[in-house]
Amino acid sequence: MDISLNWIKDFVDLPSKLSAQELGELLTRHTAEVEGVKDLKKSYENMVLGKVTSLKKHPDADKLKLAKVDIGQSKDVQIVCGGQNLEEGMLVAVALPGSKVRWHGEGELVELKETKIRGEKSFGMICAGEEIGLETDNPKGASEVRIKDLSHLKAKAGTPLHKALHKDDVVLDIDNKSLTHRPDLWGHYGIAREFSAILEKPLKTLKEELKYKEGKRSARPKAQIKNDELCPRFSMAIVKGVKVGPSPQWMQSRLEAAGMNPINNIVDITNYVMLELGQPMHAYDRQVVGSDELIVRCAKKGEKLTALDEQEYTLHPEDPIVCNKKDEPLGIAGIKGGLKSGINADTNELILEAANWDKVMVRKASARIGLRTDASQRFEKGLDPSMTELAIQRALNLIQQLCPEAEVVSPIVTTGKWKAKTLKINLNAASVISKIGMDIPKTEMKRILKALDFKVSGSGEKLTVEVPSHRATGDVSLEEDLVEEIARIHGYDKIPAILPDLPIKLPHENEESFHKHTAREIMAHQLGFTELMNYSFYSKERLEKCGLSEEGHFKILNYLSEDQTHMRTSLTPNILAKISENSREFANMRVFEIGRNYKDTGNYMPTEQKWLVAAVVQKGEAFYEAKGAMQAFLAAFRTPKPQFKVAKTKLPYAHPKKSLGVLVRGQEIGQVFTVHPGVLKAFDIEQDVAIFALHFNALVEAGRPKVSFKEPAKFPGMEMDISVLVEERKTVEELKKAIQKSDKSNIIQSIRLFDTYSGKGIPDGQKSLSFRMELQHPERTLTDEEFTVAQEAIFLALEQIGATIRGKGN
Amino acid sequence: MRAHFSMKKELQQLEKDALASIKGSASYEELKDAEREFLGKKGALTGLLKGLKDKSIEEKKSFGKAANEVKKRLEGTFEARNKQIEREQIDAAIENDWLDLTAPGTQQATGNIHPLYQVQKEVERIFQEMGFTVVDGPEVESEYYNFEGLNIPAHHPARDMQDTFFIDKPSHKEEGRLVLRTHTSPNQVRAMRKYGAPLRIVVPGRVFRNEALDASHEHTFDQVEGFMIDTHISIAHLKGVMQEFLSRLFHKEMKVRFRPGYFPFVEPGIELDMSCVFCSGKGCKVCKKTGWIEFMGCGMIHPKVLESGGVDPKKYQGWAFGFGLTRLVMMLYGINDIRYLTSGDLRINKQF
Repeated sequence: MDISLNWIKDFVDLPSKLSAQELGELLTRHTAEVEGVKDLKKSYENMVLGKVTSLKKHPDADKLKLAKVDIGQSKDVQIVCGGQNLEEGMLVAVALPGSKVRWHGEGELVELKETKIRGEKSFGMICAGEEIGLETDNPKGASEVRIKDLSHLKAKAGTPLHKALHKDDVVLDIDNKSLTHRPDLWGHYGIAREFSAILEKPLKTLKEELKYKEGKRSARPKAQIKNDELCPRFSMAIVKGVKVGPSPQWMQSRLEAAGMNPINNIVDITNYVMLELGQPMHAYDRQVVGSDELIVRCAKKGEKLTALDEQEYTLHPEDPIVCNKKDEPLGIAGIKGGLKSGINADTNELILEAANWDKVMVRKASARIGLRTDASQRFEKGLDPSMTELAIQRALNLIQQLCPEAEVVSPIVTTGKWKAKTLKINLNAASVISKIGMDIPKTEMKRILKALDFKVSGSGEKLTVEVPSHRATGDVSLEEDLVEEIARIHGYDKIPAILPDLPIKLPHENEESFHKHTAREIMAHQLGFTELMNYSFYSKERLEKCGLSEEGHFKILNYLSEDQTHMRTSLTPNILAKISENSREFANMRVFEIGRNYKDTGNYMPTEQKWLVAAVVQKGEAFYEAKGAMQAFLAAFRTPKPQFKVAKTKLPYAHPKKSLGVLVRGQEIGQVFTVHPGVLKAFDIEQDVAIFALHFNALVEAGRPKVSFKEPAKFPGMEMDISVLVEERKTVEELKKAIQKSDKSNIIQSIRLFDTYSGKGIPDGQKSLSFRMELQHPERTLTDEEFTVAQEAIFLALEQIGATIRGKGN
Repeated sequence: MRAHFSMKKELQQLEKDALASIKGSASYEELKDAEREFLGKKGALTGLLKGLKDKSIEEKKSFGKAANEVKKRLEGTFEARNKQIEREQIDAAIENDWLDLTAPGTQQATGNIHPLYQVQKEVERIFQEMGFTVVDGPEVESEYYNFEGLNIPAHHPARDMQDTFFIDKPSHKEEGRLVLRTHTSPNQVRAMRKYGAPLRIVVPGRVFRNEALDASHEHTFDQVEGFMIDTHISIAHLKGVMQEFLSRLFHKEMKVRFRPGYFPFVEPGIELDMSCVFCSGKGCKVCKKTGWIEFMGCGMIHPKVLESGGVDPKKYQGWAFGFGLTRLVMMLYGINDIRYLTSGDLRINKQF
């Protein structure tokens, strides 16, 4: 919202020693955020109002004239000008050398210099509207060039242009969001009240502004409110003898400063009242309305109305409207007036309306219709119903200023169920001090509240505070609300920074949050994986690429784009998409993500689980890389005795023959698998991808066993290497079991596969596996004989399951 | 006696000669020869001892002792010289060794933690040191916890400020529709219900807004919620804790300033600015010459929110805050486009 400082000065004296910037800063620190400060006169530097005293043709150019212009100095100056509407005696905008204008209203600002045009001196230029940021008289494509005629201004030649145009104003741009809870700040008077409290300067009461002269009563307006909840208060008055025309420059300038376009004197007055008091108004053409009785009701289904913006709106049964006595809709209440009954050039009788509308109903209607206006924005916040009469009074006052011949022919008639209520809050001074955390004298608390129009009574610690009606529509109702008033006006800057003096209390332990960081450290810094952070959703197309069914997915009702429609039930699809995107740049990748999935398990809320999913991307079988990384992870994470078994859960995106389940205490908590080649193809990935996925919550729940210390063996052990030839599909597990079983005297400490080979030198359909065993007796050195016995037993066991021992004599 | 005297002299001479010989040996061979010459079976010392044959027992004893000492000393010297030669030979042998020191080291797997989680960890650490518990809550949340419980009733204008994603599911009688949480604040009520007061909690986590994507707007980003409740917790404490937190996070003295702000779940509502980390408050491009950077919304927890959480507002009071972790990360690393963080482009992720 744009706030004119000149307007504020109507109600409170702003110290001249404070710059506009500083005033803006004050408001930001005590009331609401000022996002920008705009000095309107900056655009009119080195420009004056000039009076054309004589005109001559340019001797050397057909379309140019030589103008002698009075610019308030002892001698008139000569300016070359091409404006075809230029006349002697006209008041014009003169941009003197040094000023900056926008040529023909286009491009960057250009600084003027004293110059000669076709041999004739020109001291600056006479400007068209668009060249100095005023309304243009040169519509696109017009053949004539018209300069801005300012003859209507009541100022002498030589007056600085910003003064003549009433542009000697500074505008504060306030962030609307910071006014969400403050209906009282949607007009200049409310902001002036804040300045008054902050600066400790008196606020001028509205007395003169509300005065008007009532003429001979010849009418009495009436309102019929069919829905009391919708309209708590509705005020009206009737005026005759109005002449519609442009409003005076001072009013236009105020409206422009506050960001509104002037339209005509009557509409401008209603807007002026809204900008001043925050109360939107409407003026109807009484003759078009055809009755002095207005009906307030909700629209009927399918009812239509063409509004002032010339758009036709189809109304919803809950939309609030105002109708004439014939029940014809005149406007959408609280949002926008109708075109037909609006003010036009021929209007001379008015029905003025200032009403209070229910904030929720206006808000809903505005959202439904898709029309957010200056009025609806204000009603949505919950305006003070007592303002309706004041607004009518102010409007009548302004109408009589601008149209002295206008006659108020009715009393102000107010209808509605609303009754003024007093809202009192008990305020405990000690509680204020405790919540703010600093000592604020009670006199200061009282001063602040009074400056904001609260009534304060009582003495000692307990005060009684009466809330003024403009703060009583929901904004202030609790002691805490008063704490805010005191804290902000006293100044947040004055509050000291203090660390709380609290007893030591250990935080509740959160293993999961702690171990998420541990897991990241292991994955990134020990195992060399890079972390990804993907969205929580994906598209139907993507889930189908992974062979997932839509079932079990939570869908987003109002999704932003087609590729973000379903909440992910697995992290894998988005990881595969990122692998695909990166695969042009990187042939080999190790990536991981820790994040949640969301599954519809039939309850109201989804089941949210945290998963760690890691992928190895390389040319050729990636399974063992992924399995090795997972085993290393589980070891580093100190997972208790993980076991591996053919996967129980069939993942649709996993290779059916290359999926291994990870079990902890008999429960499958994850899998390691090669991605299904069909899925890789769908994602356009040429490399092999193997993934391990661990249910992180289960992993953390499994706990981390205590390490029990074992003394290292005192006696040297012996190593035994054995290579065997076996049939291709014989598993390592089978051979290991056979070796283990052969060990009757319990001396084999470990069995490790250290080489796998097939190809040259190995018969077709077979492979060579090499194991290294560590043999050791717990109490003494192993004898050669024991070693030999063990070896024989191993050979026998392996041969029994069909292995051929390589390199064995004979 | 004279003979004895001369034998001792000879022994001295022998030691002197042997030492010179050891010193002069440049190789193992020369050293071995010298050892043999002086200490060998047929060496000089043995020869000298042979001359003792005819001497008295006393003389034998006394000379024998002296000769043994010389022998020990020489043996030690031979050993030392032997080691020295060994080292000299190694030194000589590697004199011509060469390695291309510019060639890269053997490749090791190196990975990277996403910057968001690096900063999250640091934030958690600092608050934990101040006695805060870290918790999290559901990302798919009910309207009740996301709005009503936080004093944001239906049709409250504040719902406009947070464009909400809704889940395509029927509404629940008490809890309302399901939404993607628009802030981490629902955990205020959840934590109060779970732990009761007094309380010190931080909640980092992912939040969602139905906002079009551009360089500074994401529909998915991370926040950190924090709150402290006790019988006497004040706005002054909020200033103190945040100033301390930021100073630790940025490793320099930070200042905070408060401005009025509006959030329905706090009263008073406050906007917190921090002194600009880049210019220390002198004014620069980042802080738009103001010396301050908008950091977060905060305030005293609204009594209605305390009530939602089952905490008695007459007995307890406290503050809450919520800041954008994603924005903080962008600021810390100078990331100019929020979309980079979720891009998954390894050329980006591998920088951290």
